[in-house]
Amino acid sequence: MNNGRKRAAQQPPAPPQPSKHIATEMPMEEEYMDEDVFIEQNLVDEDQLILRDMEDREALANRLHKWKRPLLCSGYHSESQNIVFQQLEIDYMIGESHKGLMPNSSGSTAIIRIFGVTKEGNSVCCNVHGFEPYFYISCPPGMGPDDISRFHQILEGRMREANKSNKFSVPKFILRIELVQKKSIMYYQQHSSQPFLKIVVALPTLVASCRGILDKGIQIDGLGMKSFMTYESNVLFVLRFMIDCKIVGGNWIEVPAHKYKKSTKSLSYSQFEFDCLYSDLISHVPEGEFSKMAPFRILSFDIECAGRKGLFPDAKYDPVIQIANLVTLQGEEQPFVRNVMTLKSCSPIVGVDVMSFDTEREVLLAWRDFIREVDPDIIIGYNICKFDLPYLIERAETLKIAEFPILGRIRNSRTRVRDTSFSSRQYGTRESKEVTLEGRVQFDLLQAMQRDYKLSSYSLNSVSAHFLNEQKEDVHHSIISDLQNGNPETRRRLAVYCLKDAYLPQRLLDKLMYIYNYVEMARVTGVPISFLLARGQSIKVLSQLLRKAKQKNLVLPNVKQAGSEQGTYEGATVLEPRAGFYEKPIATLDFASLYPSIMMAYNLCYCTLVTPEDVRKLNLPPECVNKTPSGEIFVKSNLQKGILPEILEELLAARRRAKADLKEAKDPLVKAVLDGRQLALKISANSVYGFTGATIGQLPCLEISSSVTSYGRQMIEHTKKLVEDKFTTLNGFEHKAEVIYGDTDSVMVQFGVQTVDDAMKLGREAADYISGTFIKPIKLEFEKVYFPYLLISKKRYAGLYWTNPDKFDKMDTKGIETVRRDNCLLVKNLVTECLNKILIDRDIPGAVQYVKNTISDLLMNRMDLSLLVITKGLTKSGEDYDVKAAHVELAERMRKRDAATAPNVGDRVPYVIVKAAKGAKAYERSEDPIYVLENNIPIDPQYYLENQISKPLLRIFDPILKNASRELLHGSHTRAISISTPSNSGIMKFAKKQLSCVGCKALISNKDQTLCSHCKGREAELYCKTVDNVSELEKLFGRLWTQCQECQGSLHQDVLCTSRDCPIFYRRKKAQKDMAEAKVQLDRWNF
Amino acid sequence: MTAMDVDTGALQRKQSLYKSMDEIFEIQKEMYKGQQYSQIYYIRLHLIRTLIYSLLPNWKPHLPVCTVLGLEEGKECIIVGTLYKHMKLKPTILSEYSKERSATPLVSPDNFVHPDDSLVLEDESGRVNLKGNVLSPSVYVTGNVVALHGKETGGGDFFVEDLLEAGLPPQLDLPNKSGEDKYVVLVSGLNVGSSSSNPLQLQLLVDHITGHLGDKKEQHSAAQIVQVVVAGNSVQIQHGLLNGQNLASKDQSKLSEPIKELDIFLTQIAAGIPIDIMAGYNDPANFALPQQPLNRCLFPGSSAYNTFRSCTNPHLFDVDNVRFLGTSGQNIDDLNKYSEAKDTLEFMERTLRWRHLAPTAPNTLGCYPFTDRDPFFIESCPHVYFVGNQDKYATRIIKGSEGQVVRLISVPKFSETGIAVMVNLKNLECSTLSFAVQISS
Repeated sequence: MNNGRKRAAQQPPAPPQPSKHIATEMPMEEEYMDEDVFIEQNLVDEDQLILRDMEDREALANRLHKWKRPLLCSGYHSESQNIVFQQLEIDYMIGESHKGLMPNSSGSTAIIRIFGVTKEGNSVCCNVHGFEPYFYISCPPGMGPDDISRFHQILEGRMREANKSNKFSVPKFILRIELVQKKSIMYYQQHSSQPFLKIVVALPTLVASCRGILDKGIQIDGLGMKSFMTYESNVLFVLRFMIDCKIVGGNWIEVPAHKYKKSTKSLSYSQFEFDCLYSDLISHVPEGEFSKMAPFRILSFDIECAGRKGLFPDAKYDPVIQIANLVTLQGEEQPFVRNVMTLKSCSPIVGVDVMSFDTEREVLLAWRDFIREVDPDIIIGYNICKFDLPYLIERAETLKIAEFPILGRIRNSRTRVRDTSFSSRQYGTRESKEVTLEGRVQFDLLQAMQRDYKLSSYSLNSVSAHFLNEQKEDVHHSIISDLQNGNPETRRRLAVYCLKDAYLPQRLLDKLMYIYNYVEMARVTGVPISFLLARGQSIKVLSQLLRKAKQKNLVLPNVKQAGSEQGTYEGATVLEPRAGFYEKPIATLDFASLYPSIMMAYNLCYCTLVTPEDVRKLNLPPECVNKTPSGEIFVKSNLQKGILPEILEELLAARRRAKADLKEAKDPLVKAVLDGRQLALKISANSVYGFTGATIGQLPCLEISSSVTSYGRQMIEHTKKLVEDKFTTLNGFEHKAEVIYGDTDSVMVQFGVQTVDDAMKLGREAADYISGTFIKPIKLEFEKVYFPYLLISKKRYAGLYWTNPDKFDKMDTKGIETVRRDNCLLVKNLVTECLNKILIDRDIPGAVQYVKNTISDLLMNRMDLSLLVITKGLTKSGEDYDVKAAHVELAERMRKRDAATAPNVGDRVPYVIVKAAKGAKAYERSEDPIYVLENNIPIDPQYYLENQISKPLLRIFDPILKNASRELLHGSHTRAISISTPSNSGIMKFAKKQLSCVGCKALISNKDQTLCSHCKGREAELYCKTVDNVSELEKLFGRLWTQCQECQGSLHQDVLCTSRDCPIFYRRKKAQKDMAEAKVQLDRWNF
Repeated sequence: MTAMDVDTGALQRKQSLYKSMDEIFEIQKEMYKGQQYSQIYYIRLHLIRTLIYSLLPNWKPHLPVCTVLGLEEGKECIIVGTLYKHMKLKPTILSEYSKERSATPLVSPDNFVHPDDSLVLEDESGRVNLKGNVLSPSVYVTGNVVALHGKETGGGDFFVEDLLEAGLPPQLDLPNKSGEDKYVVLVSGLNVGSSSSNPLQLQLLVDHITGHLGDKKEQHSAAQIVQVVVAGNSVQIQHGLLNGQNLASKDQSKLSEPIKELDIFLTQIAAGIPIDIMAGYNDPANFALPQQPLNRCLFPGSSAYNTFRSCTNPHLFDVDNVRFLGTSGQNIDDLNKYSEAKDTLEFMERTLRWRHLAPTAPNTLGCYPFTDRDPFFIESCPHVYFVGNQDKYATRIIKGSEGQVVRLISVPKFSETGIAVMVNLKNLECSTLSFAVQISS
């Protein structure tokens, strides 16, 4: 399913400026809570339902059978062979404790389930027993063993009271309370440890409930009402388990022979299910043999549904008509299963298994059987989380197919959908749906795209154009129903389209190495793969912090959410840019991983921060502490080595190792893993700083983050001063160096030399010299030279990028790439072309002339309409918008014209601004480009001149030209204006059409003539002009229409595509129309 | 240059019977009404497939014929369909929109063939990838209709074992000649107005043809010329001038000067001999094939003669019942970009065997979106098949299995080589007229 819906992929609300001035740039995630799921809760009495129409489906079953996983090795059944598997998904459920493994316990308990795949491609489900949820509180001074048992009783009582209404069948809520020696991570402390109480509870959700009681305060005999600070009480149970067992996301786990027991009643659809104790698990570090990937199965699918004309498909009414599936083994290039399930007959497709059914019910059930049979480990698609999966489930509900939604790996467990919203400073708030598919990882490429790339549009079409360099055919949803209602051939057409849409996510996944990158990210940060897409940055840092803290015997306090009033702190420094066009090479000095380096150099950490109180009390010698420019005190590493610096050191060392290995590696698969790893390590290192600055995060500490930025500022200033002091004529250099701009972690220097080579030499010299003045590992590196360089303002510049003196690498632009999609293509083309002319051709007059020509073309109505189309997403219906917007008004108007093709909520609305009565608002002047083409409606060139192109142009030309505005926007080239006559406006209906002379437009009375008597002498010239116009259009017509044939992959069928995201869609339409007109003009000469 | 009959023994120019069959290439009533290119492919497939089906009983009668849809894995069969060539280097209009313009502009190569190119066979029902060594992707192009013998292997591929083309069309017998030599002159690429064109050289050609040059013997042979055909690219006009704005009077003359000059040359010829002028790539004509005749208003002088004929490109005509088929070169030039052969004549031969004059149209060669016919389908085999505006003069006779004999001629650009080609109607023998002018400064 695609078109409308995937076009609906909405732009997240504009993310805040990537400025580091705001303290809270980290996600303000809502706290994720454990949710106890009881086995019985979601069970369906499946056997009965399934047996009902068993015979009908036997034929289908035979068809599906061939895609089964390879046979299970017999050594598992006899429990005589070690099981080694790569885990992809870990969750837990509440069940009866295992009698065989845990003879001493009874009642409900949390059982961890690990789903994974063995090297041979067998799916396994490992039920881990015996791991208990717990957290810490600091032990009140003077508490003895007796006090603890009394405290235990009181707490148990309070718990019983608080959970009265719950149906837990646990004999005890608090299993035990142990006295342990730990230390809080917060603040520098001289003592090595102090007593803490470890409270072990029966079920994971009881952690939160118990924390609530302790937070509020509890009456203890002898101590009175006392509230407790809890530690590590916000750690998800699964994460707790992984940390304690040293399991990281996506690594290999081994269970030795005889240590596991084959489950007597298997609860999952995995090939092999077994029980074991958590203490028997062996977790392998992802290195060597264990850095590889198991051959897991990736299912990529797409659905089509037949919507009603003019309405967004609704699962209550609109049937699912096709489901296309592709299954690929990880590491292989081609899918080994390609099939499509269709409602009603469908002609065969070469290389694809077409399965047709008479009822929708059969289609849905076939898909369910297919999922079960193929048993995919990862399910991918485009917008599947928000559209395809929920739609299937809701549709089954509407059709009352109770047995459909058993898609997960747990036998009889119903797949559930619930609304979630994910909100983060970085990614904005996103409404989403969470579909529970136990044991299968969902990977929605749309979510990944929105997360990892800043694109002007997230439609599948533009994403594949961007990454795969090909346009996707887009069938308008109003046509889908027609194709479905046609014959087997038209349904086949639809199926081919559906298959293509199912294949694109897989190709994107391969192209962007998503599997490698995400698995490596999971391994580096230690969280399950499913966390990476569904959650923000901070859980990753938290996971690393907890792991490190555990090694050091430290515990993390659960800080009350302080709210945002904690305020902001000063961010990075931007040296005021000296705007201008520099025609001498500009060397750029960069700090390598500046913020991580600062944290390491100055030992900034939670556990090295000295509270103002302690500064007075402890009386630390000045040589043992650093006072940061923002005034905080941190001890040096000889007193206490920080945890954050240690994490960072490890991350950066691991990255260096990965990069070194990458150089050595030959095998492309190994390379992919290593590259993914070094990238993950880099991202992780950079996110540590942000974690400390997230005021609504897990463990904010503004003292650290503000110190980091203050050091950063100091370093930029310091660099500027050193460069300008040393590289002067006084010191024997030819020119005086000037720092023209600096931002966050880089400084741009003009050394005054003429050649790139000289600038590089001086750049290297400066970097080495200045690096010497910093504490390790802070290092200034020389990376590149810009030449020429156009500096416009803060964070806006363009230049040619040189890393070797012979040839420039590319053109680099910041802040002026007008990728914003509310601009029309003309702006982008104009800006790019101007920059090319200015920077590459070094032809400023040429650029000016180009701008003038373009403006003249615009005013003379010679502009290709497709360049003027502006597109905006319709996110809600008209009444819900507070301000009148052009695209919303247009959508309303189009609905009045023709409800079937009018854009719906979620669609993107393309429009152009047309001429209208004086004083009409822009939103009243928006019009559908197709309508404009068909009716010759004049566009409003002034609007485009003033509201679209003038600002970006002036930005570029202001530093270059004097009076840029007068020169470019008001010159003589703006005098001639031509406006086309509309063909169907009201007044034109009264006008009489008369032929005019092709040469001078004088009216001709005799309609057999082409020219008036005055122009007769210029006949040859005028004919050449007409025929040349025809010839150009024919060229264009041919290229455009054959391109569309190419995209749709068929020569013998008409092009149906209506992808408005495609750059040539309007051109194609226009060429067709212009061609027809030009031919009529040409035919006049034949009289 | 008045009359040529000075003596009493005046030479008489020989006469011939001329019949034009250009109507199939004419676009009169047809309009652009939103039709697409699928129809022309459909018609082509239909025409050639019917033909190929009739050949199958003599080729491999034992094999079943399938459609792409009807393929079954492992079953040997014959399928007939249109080829489509995936080409890595093929330029696309979408690249205009690609994100980054590379720092060094892409030099467009003359030939887009790449070792990774692969072929696909398509009929109305679907597509199938072609594998095997029998079918060379460098020979075939998108738009060819062929029959393939082979079988489907797993994964939607078709392993090709043998292939059948439509072959040379049937030919009318060459009229049995009384032994009289008559010549048709073929010339192309006059390029009047271009820097390479030399007016003196052209004047020599005209003078020779009209019998104003040389001695009696030469004049005698000139008198045997019965027809002149100008195969495209006769003038070069500056397209930069035609940007839609009104021209300054200076530019007006720049534009019309070469056309006037050409008209003068043509008038001289038309005064004595029938002359056909075909439109070419550079001429003031439409771009898409079939190119329509150059408008008479361009030639006020020569068009007054009834010996002057402005013709379509491709051009099909009989002279004394010898059938000529020719183009101004676009069809072969395009094949040269998208496939490989050892010379122009081989490309020409292929088009005859494929039974199609311009298989790459519309895919890479501009073409009118016909809805009811494919004018490039070659129904009957010409005796002379010529292509204009080539780099070199070359000629060869090919013979078909049913006794067809075709004279292939690659006509070079006159402005660059000074060569015109003479074809003898009696025996289809070819000779060249070569004019060289040395201008000393």
